[in-house]
Amino acid sequence: MSGFLTVYWRWLQDRRLSTIVWIAGIAVIVVATAAFYPTLSHASGSSLNVSGGAINSLLGLGQGIDPKSPLGYLWIGLYANVYPWMLMALGVVLGVAAIAGDEDTGGLEYLLARPVTRSTVALARFAGMVTILALVAAASGLSLVICLPVFDLNESVKTTAASGTVTTSPGATIGDIFNGTFSAFAVGLGLAGVAFLLGAATGRKALALGVATVLGVGGYVLYTLSNSTDKLKPLTWISPWRWYVADAMLIKGLTWNVALPFVLAALSLLVGWWAFLRRDLQAA
Amino acid sequence: MDAVIETNDLTKIWGDVTAVSDLSLRVTAEECYAFLGRNGSGKSTTARMLLDFIRPTRGRARVLGGSGRDPAIRARVGYLPGDLNLPRAMTGAAAIDYFGALQGGGHEAEAASLVERFGLDPGRPVRELSTGNRRKVGLVLAFMSRPELLILDEPTSGLDPVLQEEFRKLLAERKAAGASIWLTSHVMAEVERVADRVGLIRDGMLVSELSMDELRRQAADRIRFSFPGSVDPASLAGAANVTAASVDDGAVTVTVNGPVTDVLRRAAELGATAVETERRELDDIFLELFDTGGQHP
Repeated sequence: MSGFLTVYWRWLQDRRLSTIVWIAGIAVIVVATAAFYPTLSHASGSSLNVSGGAINSLLGLGQGIDPKSPLGYLWIGLYANVYPWMLMALGVVLGVAAIAGDEDTGGLEYLLARPVTRSTVALARFAGMVTILALVAAASGLSLVICLPVFDLNESVKTTAASGTVTTSPGATIGDIFNGTFSAFAVGLGLAGVAFLLGAATGRKALALGVATVLGVGGYVLYTLSNSTDKLKPLTWISPWRWYVADAMLIKGLTWNVALPFVLAALSLLVGWWAFLRRDLQAA
Repeated sequence: MDAVIETNDLTKIWGDVTAVSDLSLRVTAEECYAFLGRNGSGKSTTARMLLDFIRPTRGRARVLGGSGRDPAIRARVGYLPGDLNLPRAMTGAAAIDYFGALQGGGHEAEAASLVERFGLDPGRPVRELSTGNRRKVGLVLAFMSRPELLILDEPTSGLDPVLQEEFRKLLAERKAAGASIWLTSHVMAEVERVADRVGLIRDGMLVSELSMDELRRQAADRIRFSFPGSVDPASLAGAANVTAASVDDGAVTVTVNGPVTDVLRRAAELGATAVETERRELDDIFLELFDTGGQHP
């Protein structure tokens, strides 16, 4: 496919600075979250008194998750909400930029005036989107791995219940961080794929950005509300949060559900590509 | 002579809007064809169909004997859009490298020559460039592969007069070397100097096609006759070679394309007291053609 690597590398180069900023920003949040762990774990008598399915889902607390354990702390402080949100936001930005963003400025037309096919551009841009998202996820996951021994997150913790039962929670391992980071990356990739599809199919940046954002936020709201009322539960299959929070892969390990966003992204690529080949480009 | 651009009944309709209607034109090899029309008349839509950015509702467009959809055809085309938008952080040098690589590479020497010719600083990012300097980048990118066909949308827009002149020289050189050119412009002096033929598009329809020689013939003399009393312009309109006659402020102005003997004789018979002549500019001709929908006045 002539020009694929040229378009791919150029797209990455054009986003070099913003990628560094995203990596630095997420790493700062990851490190700051990890840095608070020693303070929390050494606090005595404090406990999270939560009740209600909606609150639990907001915090990402599921059955058997101890918020004072290293993994429980990382889950409710980072992986159940902030971290996937950041990757989803980045995914939407990249997915929209891949086709619609460039088309909005007229840059895409100029590129397609060269001997490069629409297929090449769509595939190279999609690959670039996945690369940047993976880089940011990998870098932030790596920064957390480095933080584990620094902030005692790799040490097991013993907790004594009111009944006197002593429970030992294991410290976080590199494998745990990989599982959590990979599942959050998957969520971000799924929404990035939807944003790509909308941009490739319509060429309208505002529409792609708006609809993808509504889907991301709406899925979260839907999942959260579904924990308060059973009436909404049948609809939650469209929300990635249903399996992401319920499976809590940081703690419980990877499940096959992690493949769902990859399938969604692949389908989005196929449909978006198909539509992009057949439509008129939008005038800048 | 081979056609480098050929359209047959090319039509583009968006909903209720017909942007281009049944456009049939033919640009031959080594020809410079100026496509003229007012804003929104369908010039850019036509260019976008030639390069397959948009697909015709009906009809057909062929470029260099093939389809603009074919990358091998586009490799032989140099394109300058009306509004060039490159990534803001990209430098001119990076743009030359990137688009040069997509064109197959090997254009470095030609690009360097054009950079020097237009006085472009290739190290500056696009965001720091003025409109004219961005235009220079676009010209370098369009010409550096020595394409067989140049599609240029308002090529001198934003360029200072010195660079406009340099551009015209470059265009003449490329044409002499065998390149074909399809351009749009609002600068009639430029069109007059570079074009072999013009096509006038109005409301999406090709209303007239003229060679520059034909146009120049239309830039005929105007003669203004003053009379002591009122005179019906129709009395002069029937004279030989008079193409138009109108009355203004008591005087009759006639447009003459050819010998003026007959109209002078008639004016004298009607008692003309003063005679003034003027030569029309091409701008006036174009305005008249647009006003009359391409019908020669």
